[in-house]
Amino acid sequence: MTRLLDLGIDRIRNIIMDMARLSEQSVFTSIDSYDKGTNVKKQIFEWSEKLRVLQDETADLAIELIARYQPVATDLRFIRSCMEIAYGFSRFGRYAYDIVEVLETIGHINDCDKTAVLGMASTVREMILLSVEALQLRDKNASAKLYEMDDTVDALYRKYLREVITPQNDQDKKDMNPRCYISALLILRYLERISDHACYISDSIHYIMTGRSSPRR
Amino acid sequence: MSNEEELARVVFSQGSENALKEGQKEQTYKVSIKKLEAWFGTKQALKDVSLDVKENTITAIIGPSGCGKTTLIRCLNRMHEMTPSSRSRGQVIIDGIDIYDRNIDPVIIKRRIGMVFQKPNPFPTMSIYDNVAAGLKLNGVKDRQLIDEIVKESLQGAGIWEEVKNELDKPGMGLSGGQQQRLCIARALAMQPEVLLMDEPTSALDPMASTKIEELVHDLKQELTIIIVTHNMQQAARVSDYTAFMYLGALVEYGPTKKIFENPEKELTERYISGKFG
Repeated sequence: MTRLLDLGIDRIRNIIMDMARLSEQSVFTSIDSYDKGTNVKKQIFEWSEKLRVLQDETADLAIELIARYQPVATDLRFIRSCMEIAYGFSRFGRYAYDIVEVLETIGHINDCDKTAVLGMASTVREMILLSVEALQLRDKNASAKLYEMDDTVDALYRKYLREVITPQNDQDKKDMNPRCYISALLILRYLERISDHACYISDSIHYIMTGRSSPRR
Repeated sequence: MSNEEELARVVFSQGSENALKEGQKEQTYKVSIKKLEAWFGTKQALKDVSLDVKENTITAIIGPSGCGKTTLIRCLNRMHEMTPSSRSRGQVIIDGIDIYDRNIDPVIIKRRIGMVFQKPNPFPTMSIYDNVAAGLKLNGVKDRQLIDEIVKESLQGAGIWEEVKNELDKPGMGLSGGQQQRLCIARALAMQPEVLLMDEPTSALDPMASTKIEELVHDLKQELTIIIVTHNMQQAARVSDYTAFMYLGALVEYGPTKKIFENPEKELTERYISGKFG
């Protein structure tokens, strides 16, 4: 016989998986728009809003399940973690929107060197896919790989920041276009935050599966 | 000498020197159950149960019907042996004294270890006052002023004094179910026990009365060590510091309540508390 609680848990799981797909799509689309110079602000805004609504829906449903069924053990950990995971996906959407907003605010950047951003974006894309896959497979061991990648992302961000602050020579200074490095810095920062949230999602999965919280870095 | 001291003196005077020496090694815990087994005739109800209970804590015992919860707490004050054809083996050490030591009088044990049952059971022909005073009188306490004081303290301790202070001479059976249960708790408290055993004390009560009992249990742990059998897992989660899960007469898992309900070690515990069986 199906537990009544399981009906609610299935609903919350479906919402989370919808959020996973939508947040992944939002981030990937915003990165593509940076690369190709396309205007997707309206679309990303809608997706980001939808993610926020789904996050609220997750929280409401989680509270309802706790109030109605007083879940314990794995059920309780899953429900609690869904609230955190939903927040993570909602942040993905928000950072995707921030990325496209940078492009609109800064204006034309087609002549900028995009290597740093696209390099980091490639790693972050992989991290998003890994975190969503870990969620689907309930892979408690995904954290290690994700944190390793997060270290790479952090290092790339710091490296670019140092390069911007301390240009090597006068020619470097002359070549530095504020539109290029400001947009790159902002987007790198958003990607770095997305990377953190991908790690937090894997922490939540680890907590669901083991009951042990990972110390937040 | 206070009534409590008087009772303590009587109890300790029953223990053999060996029991007291043994007790010095066991002082860490208020109650230590060691390899306890119990039978009803040929049917084994408890299998090799060992657990330690810290002083001034609330320990909940949970598990499906027939798992041995009630038998376990009935062994803790030697009530189990009062059932015909029953027997037990193992040790129950309270304050360092094995209550199954042959030099220990079971009647004295029942004074030190109070018990509250599933269904409120005030003495039907007695007034509220007499219900609380009965145990004292049976134990030879004759000082009327002392009895008055203990009755008042016990009713206060059970959180019912304000409701009954002007009708102490009325029958205990005239109270509501929740009040009757608190009267029974007051009756147990009057004997100034150090351990209070509660066998599903709220299962016959409405939610409001149950809440009052839960709040009372929480307050009483300042003075007592409480072991409560409950079918209500949410109640166990709310009131207890430690939880023991029993199944088919065996202790499956025992630990801090937070751990048991958030992250149990055993798959069987997880399945039971999650409502996946039982």
